[in-house]
Amino acid sequence: MPLLSQYDLSGKTAILSSTGGDESPLLASVLAEAGATVFAVTRRQEQLDAILSALEGNGSSGGKHGGVAVPLVSDDAVSRAMAEFDRLDRPVDILVNDNRSLLAKPTGEITLSEWDELQSRNVRTAFLLSQAVGLRMIERESGRIVNLISGLAERGMMGGSAFSVSQAGLLALTRSLAVEWGRHNIRVNAIGVGWSISEDVPLEIQREEQLVRYTPLRRKGHPRDIGPLLVYLCSDACDYTTGQPIYIDGGLNAHP
Amino acid sequence: MLERLSIDDRVVVITGGGTGLGLEMVRHLARAGANLVIAGRRSGPIEDAAAEVRALGPQSIAVPTDVSDSSQADALVEAAVRNFGRIDVLINNAALVSDSVPTPIWDISDSDWQAALDVNLSGSFYCARAASRPMADQGAGKIINVASGFGMRGGRDIYMYCCTKGAIIQLTRVLSFSLARYGVTANSIVPGFIPTAGTDTEMRESLPRSGAYLPTGKLGEPQDIGPVAVFLASPASDYMTGEIFTLDGGGLAGGLAPTGYAPQIPLEA
Repeated sequence: MPLLSQYDLSGKTAILSSTGGDESPLLASVLAEAGATVFAVTRRQEQLDAILSALEGNGSSGGKHGGVAVPLVSDDAVSRAMAEFDRLDRPVDILVNDNRSLLAKPTGEITLSEWDELQSRNVRTAFLLSQAVGLRMIERESGRIVNLISGLAERGMMGGSAFSVSQAGLLALTRSLAVEWGRHNIRVNAIGVGWSISEDVPLEIQREEQLVRYTPLRRKGHPRDIGPLLVYLCSDACDYTTGQPIYIDGGLNAHP
Repeated sequence: MLERLSIDDRVVVITGGGTGLGLEMVRHLARAGANLVIAGRRSGPIEDAAAEVRALGPQSIAVPTDVSDSSQADALVEAAVRNFGRIDVLINNAALVSDSVPTPIWDISDSDWQAALDVNLSGSFYCARAASRPMADQGAGKIINVASGFGMRGGRDIYMYCCTKGAIIQLTRVLSFSLARYGVTANSIVPGFIPTAGTDTEMRESLPRSGAYLPTGKLGEPQDIGPVAVFLASPASDYMTGEIFTLDGGGLAGGLAPTGYAPQIPLEA
């Protein structure tokens, strides 16, 4: 089966930061399938275990994978994560931020601590890690950063204010870092996703949901829908695309 | 999961496939396994491109086509279906690039305006219309429209190119929403400044000479578009529709602020 050599990540090392979405293990797997070594950073141990077991299970061609479970809420926490990463004794080529902790409730009922916790998990984490990793990428004059975001970065949803703000923040971070670090051969892009699930649910059952019928392609997304694009955006061949969100969302973002 | 990036044995029709970005897409699509139906106004460049594809292994035919004539657009799609039995992907890439010399609005004649609309916009519409029926009958298909950064922002004295490229982005959205139920997707590629022989005309005067004002610090190269075209033509993009894939060195993300502009303003107490 002919594949362009440009989609190869052999010899690359990726840090994958996850707030715990169940797509993260599959995203780790596809990076490994493309040849990358993956180091995962998660909030909780069970999230890390899920990613590491997915990496073990797929017969990946990458090197020895690793990871650490530490909530990235402070400079200290990031230093600890990077110190753990340095045990791999590899430079970092790729950073993937998969920070999409969800919260949906009427705005009047959102507590300040919920608001702060959500912005911290989704935005502060990405800022802190991008800063730490970006400085290393600048030093090597090379790097690729991909932020997973929701289509709610560009739209409102009832009860979605806190989450939308966090995703719009990630999109603005994507554009800003692309502009600021472009001269250092660092490319920063986002993958925008719609409503997705990580299990295979038959279409006729999915379509009982109004939301699925509203989606132009009439099904929910699956991590396999975004995996190959993630690999391309992490590759050296992705040299002229930067600061862009690419939506793979079943047509939702172009929907009236 | 990566096998989804293969387009082995798919049938791709591409307009303007003999030169510039079109030719570069042809080369990458062929390397990823696609059979190609290559259209262009002049037969020389498309015959050469088809020969290049066949040398790589896949099958290819050249079909001289002026897409501004809807009967020729219909004939192009018919040729693809007749030769290969189906059409999996249409890439609307033909455009009047070299003719898009910046011109003050009062010097643009009716025929200048109409000629650009005929090729850039009507041509894309005619080809999409011709291809959408067999694609809908197959229950699958992909339409890829090559727009431009000038379809997202204004360019000084670049009326026809900006207006038609903006319209192509809208055409893409309407196609995506209308044809989703038939299993047909539509997406746009938005290239920024990527010099080719076609832009090496008076139009060049309106384009940056270097990437000094782009976040990447450099202009694009024609081969940058290859892996994006293959991705959009492959099953890896099956869940993507109505969307835009931009390759512009960060130009749209940064806007027109000079790239070197980096003020430092301390946080107020």
